[in-house]
Amino acid sequence: MTTQLDPGKLTQLLNQNTQQLDDKVLSALSQARLSALSRQSPRLSVLALTTGRWSISHKAYPWIIAALLAGVLLSGISYWHRSHEQQINELDIAILTDDLPIEVFID
Amino acid sequence: MRNILTSLLIFSYLAGVPVVNAASEPWGTLSREQREALAPLAQQWDALPALQQHRLLGTAKQYSRLTPEKQQRFHDRLVKWSNLTAEQRQAAREKYHAFSKVPADKREQVKEMVRQEQAVKAQQSNNESPVSPNRK
Repeated sequence: MTTQLDPGKLTQLLNQNTQQLDDKVLSALSQARLSALSRQSPRLSVLALTTGRWSISHKAYPWIIAALLAGVLLSGISYWHRSHEQQINELDIAILTDDLPIEVFID
Repeated sequence: MRNILTSLLIFSYLAGVPVVNAASEPWGTLSREQREALAPLAQQWDALPALQQHRLLGTAKQYSRLTPEKQQRFHDRLVKWSNLTAEQRQAAREKYHAFSKVPADKREQVKEMVRQEQAVKAQQSNNESPVSPNRK
């Protein structure tokens, strides 16, 4: 024997039964709901990066991006500076030891 | 975006400072190898600008790997090289760099011309001021 249940009627029945629950059960359900919401709220209200125990606020993003860009910039400057100095060293030692006198290269 | 640009400027300034500033190194703090390589500059070393010291120390690293003939040339030219202005040294580097791009046979021709010119100058110098110990 099968009974076709109308979803609207089913909702009405559930609501009626909820109203008939005693205060203790209602209070426990309310507490459980609040507890569940409080656990969920940080993830919904703040856009943040989380890594285990640490969370990074979205306000720090500009600083993080700037630090990363500065790091890349510093590496670039440092690399350019080293290769430039290396080239100067090679030229200096070549000028100082070449069989042509340095006067040839000086105005 | 303004925050990012401001932060980037601050970080870049702080990052650039150590690259630009080179500390001066007194003669007494140099290693034995460095002092040997830069010996002709012993008297004037401490008065040289920090950047020049830094670059000379870079060339000194290669001194021990040079042939004795090149070590002698290095020592002979070191004082003259150090007495040039920074602009003259930079101009000399640029000329040398350009000269090194010239084909080898042309380079050899130039070297031969310079040798001949030096020989003529040396000859003229000897003719103009003969040194005779008897005249003194």
